[in-house]
Amino acid sequence: MKKSKKLIVLAILSALCLLIVPGCKKGDDKSGTGGEGKTIEITHWYWADNSDYSAKMQEIAKTFNETNGKNIKVKAEEYPWDGGGYSETLFTAAMGGGGPDTAAWKLTSTPLFVANKLLAELDGFINNWADKDDIEENLWDVMKQAGGSDKIYVMPWNTQVLYVYYRPSMFKAAGVSVPKTYEEFLEACKKLTRDTDGDGKIDVYGFGMRGAKGGQEPWGSFIWARGGNFTDFTTPEAIQGMQDFIDLFKKGYTPPTAPTDGFNEIIANFKSGKTAMTIHHIGSSSGMVETFGDDVDAFVFPAGKGQWTSMGDTENVIFESCKNKEAAFEWVSYLATGKGQEEWCITTGNVPVSKRVQAMDFFQNNKFMKVSIEGAPYAGIFPILDTTTEWINTVWPNTVAAALTGQKTAAQAMEELQKGLYGDKK
Amino acid sequence: MERRQSVISRILFLFLPLILLLLFILFPFYWTFVTSIKPEMELYGKTVTYWPRNVTFDAYKSLFVDYNFVKPMINSFIVAATTTVVTLTVATLASYAFSRYRFKGRKALMVMFLTNNMFPTVLLLIPLYAIMRKLGILYTPIALVLAYTTFTIPFSVWLLNGYLNDLPMSLEEAALVDGANRPQAFIRIVLPILIPCLVATGVYIFMNAWNEYTFAVMFTNEKSRTIPVSLRNLIGQLGVQWDLLTAGGIITIIPVCVMFFFAQKRLVEGLTAGAVKG
Repeated sequence: MKKSKKLIVLAILSALCLLIVPGCKKGDDKSGTGGEGKTIEITHWYWADNSDYSAKMQEIAKTFNETNGKNIKVKAEEYPWDGGGYSETLFTAAMGGGGPDTAAWKLTSTPLFVANKLLAELDGFINNWADKDDIEENLWDVMKQAGGSDKIYVMPWNTQVLYVYYRPSMFKAAGVSVPKTYEEFLEACKKLTRDTDGDGKIDVYGFGMRGAKGGQEPWGSFIWARGGNFTDFTTPEAIQGMQDFIDLFKKGYTPPTAPTDGFNEIIANFKSGKTAMTIHHIGSSSGMVETFGDDVDAFVFPAGKGQWTSMGDTENVIFESCKNKEAAFEWVSYLATGKGQEEWCITTGNVPVSKRVQAMDFFQNNKFMKVSIEGAPYAGIFPILDTTTEWINTVWPNTVAAALTGQKTAAQAMEELQKGLYGDKK
Repeated sequence: MERRQSVISRILFLFLPLILLLLFILFPFYWTFVTSIKPEMELYGKTVTYWPRNVTFDAYKSLFVDYNFVKPMINSFIVAATTTVVTLTVATLASYAFSRYRFKGRKALMVMFLTNNMFPTVLLLIPLYAIMRKLGILYTPIALVLAYTTFTIPFSVWLLNGYLNDLPMSLEEAALVDGANRPQAFIRIVLPILIPCLVATGVYIFMNAWNEYTFAVMFTNEKSRTIPVSLRNLIGQLGVQWDLLTAGGIITIIPVCVMFFFAQKRLVEGLTAGAVKG
């Protein structure tokens, strides 16, 4: 009888101990703060697209730790991208008082973190930074725009700039040269649309238009080329840009499936020779070269009254809770303009933000990288608002599909896009 | 003639739907396995192959050698096993008390246990993270065990309480009449009968802890990563490493399958089969 009683008490006690004892351990998980002038620990969170990238980031951190000469030790920790859930994980950790000192970043998350005062303002560091001018002025503007103020919270790291892929052989056959202006681009779309085998049917379309989700990025270039912008879609210039977009489809210079064509379709159409031009970034260049060899090239979306191209982004941030911001800045600046920048961009094939790195032979000898770098000064992002995700995923594809199929005029469509992004306020 | 007809109708109405259903259920597993043993050329090739022309186990090799998948497996096992043991111990005792004793606040406590499970986990994420951090257990397996038991204990108490309520009191009364006290009656009479329910509940708890992601990504770091987080690391922003991901998936389900294999007998055993006999 006594034995069984003891057994129960023991079971209860062991269960409780397991839960409570570790709780008695005091302390903070936050990475070390240097203490008495010793090693300064910086925890860095990042995501990686594959295990090679992950290994490269570990290697970059290791090299930085060995060479920084200031006793800064970066501990790089990989977190899953999780379809964007990465930013939520960061947010939860930062709100819970933990999280890293620095982290890889997406501009779209900036307003939420800034509103909650979680990010460190970098202006002070950047203004005193020797390499400030090594980064394109335009990029600093984009960083400010993301934060919604004149302050910089985000350190550029690498980008993907959209440009126009084209088939030199098709240009030659149609007697078209690489467009230098927006007007010439529209004209090229027309001339490149051809019936190559004389059966009365169009075999090659001038432009591979993306009308489905994600198509707002190439579309934006048309709006800006006519002198419009994203603060007001209802200006005559912006409406004219939309009209050009609609006309390309209505006049048959794009495949008839354009309103529903997404990334896979525009790439497949281009690779199968159905289209002579299409817009995407360097990420698809290796596939293009594999298919066409030398018969594929690229140019920056040409300027009209204005010039703009979409920019995919990855940055780094320093958290407000970081106790050694100088050391953290040392690390993020190493990634932005130092050896870390070189190594990462060579491995991932992304466009460097450092002009010095851009000028390196490795990047200059790659024609697609070169065009990306040429386009970088005009690269930008869509306004980051609460409505942006919904606007990109639903409002834009639906409205543009309606405009392309003639259910809406260019002006009506632009009115709707304006309302979708900014609500009723102008 | 009639016999032939019945055979045909059995095939048509029983075996055929059964085969279709099995295909529907098993095909994803088959496809996962096949993807994990395909060479890269076939994996991303234009033609779809239903069985690889060249079978390769490179993905498995890479998973264990380059990706060090053993570490998250061990972490997952520690977390899942500890969660199961802690939950079962606490929940069995608690549900026994709830079932056999009538005390003040019993109903309120039971309702509280139920409402606990109604909270969306996301809502509790930030507070739990802050608590773990203050306690200094963040990024240790204990943090995950604590977080999981927060949800598994109430559920298990309800589950076991249901089983215990159905268990005839006469069994324990008989033991008490024979001179046993409460603890003895519990250990010698109730517990053995309860084993199939404990196995069923244990399997549920284990699987829950084995597959959970939301808490795991928050409360672990590189050292204490569990399987779901490690696998999710293979899905990048611009690409998925299908070979490693599927190989990881196959490895992950093996322990669960083995567990089911051994637990199956217990699981199907009647709750009180043969308990009350003259």
